[in-house]
Amino acid sequence: MLDLSTPQRQSKKIIAFYLYKSIKGLLLYFVFAAVGTNSMGKYGMFMTAFIAFIALASLVSPVLKYLYFTFHIEGDELIIQKGLLQKERKSIPLERIQSININQNVVQRILGIVSLEVDTAGSKGKELEIPGLEKAFASEFKELLQERKEEINVEEEVIENAQKYFVDSNNDGYEGALLEATEKIPAIPSQKTRTTARNLTETTILQLGILDILKVGITQNHLKSGGLAIGLAFGSWFQVNELLEEYLGDWIQQFSMENVISSTSAGLVFIALVLFLFFSVVISVALAINKYWDFSIVKKGTDLEVKMGLFNKKEIKIPLKKVQILEFHSNPLRKLLGFQTAQIFQAQSTENKQGSVSVPACKEVHRMMLQNLIFKQPVETTEQELKCNPYSHAKLRFYILSVFLLPLVGAAFYVEEYAGIVLLILLFCISIFMAFMYGKNSRVIKDEDFVVFKKGWLFPQTVISPIFKTQAVEKWRSIFLKRRKEAHLKLHTAAGTRGLRYLHEDQLNQLITSVNNEVICSEEKWM
Amino acid sequence: MKNNPILAAGLPSVKEADFQKHPKRFLNKNLIAKGVLFIPLFAAVVLSFFVIQEKPWVWKVALAVWVFSFILSIFLSYKGYFVKGFVLREHDITYKKGWVFHSQITVPFNRIQHTEINHGPIDRLFKLCELDIFTAGGSASDLSIDGLDPEDAAKLKEYISGKLSIHA
Repeated sequence: MLDLSTPQRQSKKIIAFYLYKSIKGLLLYFVFAAVGTNSMGKYGMFMTAFIAFIALASLVSPVLKYLYFTFHIEGDELIIQKGLLQKERKSIPLERIQSININQNVVQRILGIVSLEVDTAGSKGKELEIPGLEKAFASEFKELLQERKEEINVEEEVIENAQKYFVDSNNDGYEGALLEATEKIPAIPSQKTRTTARNLTETTILQLGILDILKVGITQNHLKSGGLAIGLAFGSWFQVNELLEEYLGDWIQQFSMENVISSTSAGLVFIALVLFLFFSVVISVALAINKYWDFSIVKKGTDLEVKMGLFNKKEIKIPLKKVQILEFHSNPLRKLLGFQTAQIFQAQSTENKQGSVSVPACKEVHRMMLQNLIFKQPVETTEQELKCNPYSHAKLRFYILSVFLLPLVGAAFYVEEYAGIVLLILLFCISIFMAFMYGKNSRVIKDEDFVVFKKGWLFPQTVISPIFKTQAVEKWRSIFLKRRKEAHLKLHTAAGTRGLRYLHEDQLNQLITSVNNEVICSEEKWM
Repeated sequence: MKNNPILAAGLPSVKEADFQKHPKRFLNKNLIAKGVLFIPLFAAVVLSFFVIQEKPWVWKVALAVWVFSFILSIFLSYKGYFVKGFVLREHDITYKKGWVFHSQITVPFNRIQHTEINHGPIDRLFKLCELDIFTAGGSASDLSIDGLDPEDAAKLKEYISGKLSIHA
């Protein structure tokens, strides 16, 4: 068992990590210094001295950082102290901890350390990070925090029950009730051992092999990675160009802008397109392999544990009770292969993106398993179904695109590119049709326990949110929709807002009322 | 002992008549604040009249834009006042606002984390204040009800806080 009652320091290896960070930050500065001071004449001396000072400081500061960064548990709080000149003390009550994650990036991996992140889902992003812990220490620390947290929660429940008992019976004194309740406290250790015993039972939900990851990579949104490819190409083009020009000067001249444009033909465009697609796919696959390498999601006790990553390893723990929203995403390619991507959202502070975990390559079996594990009960018979008005979706798209289309068509007329006009109008119509189909295939379903959003046509999404986890319901409409008697629904949860547009107002009012009333009636803990 | 079941479907919905209006001076404050905001802009228009004399269309356009946006913003805050309102019920609070973009949001008391009362210098001049209601997670579901009478706001806060401690 770890003893954390006194302030502890991190692993000494963190000094190397801090050093790496400060050198990385100052690298450009040093390069400038080495080149720049020569041309400064006699002021160069001062400059060199100044830079030497900075270099020295950057060597010393990691050690200071290490010395002055301590963490410990005091009572029911986790406390972190850091800083020499500007002291900072952060404390987090253990029972407020929402999630404890272990991360490792490449450098940390080389050094053999991990960073531990503790997040509370407060309104203001309150989170702690301890960037340099030995791996074994970190996992022990994580377990310890988890256990202490559970202990506190159990104690609280006992006291709460005592208070309830007091309120209910009223003839017995509060003291008596508390006494009676505390008599039950010896039950806690046994309960605790039971939880630790339960922790040992692991059920693997999903493990991905290299083949699955390849599939995921191939079926990703290539446009996104294609965009990345173009960005990279343009970014490095100018650098590469300079190098090439030195060696292949004459040859490269042929590829100047004018030549390229004048010789543009259907064939060249085709080749460019094929190249673009090829690189997009390659990048997608590479990104997928890096992200999902050795992916596994395991149910351990009452938590889900997710591990993944090739260069940047991630280990995320999600308490099942804390899951707020479960989403399933798909696209035509994935539909063909029969799998979807699940996304698990937990309560989170706004800035922290770690709150959501995506589980790629979910087959129907895994989908049902996840749903059952997280929400205990399946989505049952529909109580109420609200359909979007597809014409409203199409109309909105029409208005937005018109703003861009009209000037473009005007410009095309001006340069007499009539083929371009046809192409533009074709794209315009396709886009409006897509919006229409999106609206046609989108709806909100409410059953006894869940609100389910089904959205999208080619890229369908299913969003499942338990009703009692809702924090607020909002009806939103612009003045133009008032006459059409339509409104948008926004469902606010601790894991963000989900919604759907253009629903019939009367039905929406009914839905909002029933959701709100169910939230009021529920006494379950939602966070 | 009574423990009647409560069926969600049977519970009442928010009705239009239940909404409580803000005090009238909130409208005055909004109008005056908007007016004050437009004075320096008007000064810019006058300046353009004297400085750019060789191009008289400049000040004409500037004046037209000023008049238009002035009337529009006064009109919007006038309209906005009449659609703003809140309902406090036994278990939740509903707030609606906005004329062009209208939203109506309902937050049950058992999902509220904490409440705050704020007032700026202009608010104090008009004896008004703002009640902020915070929920967990992101800030999308936080409510901020401005233009309340300080006494009413204090009572509201008290009422909501009382409800919170029952649930917490």
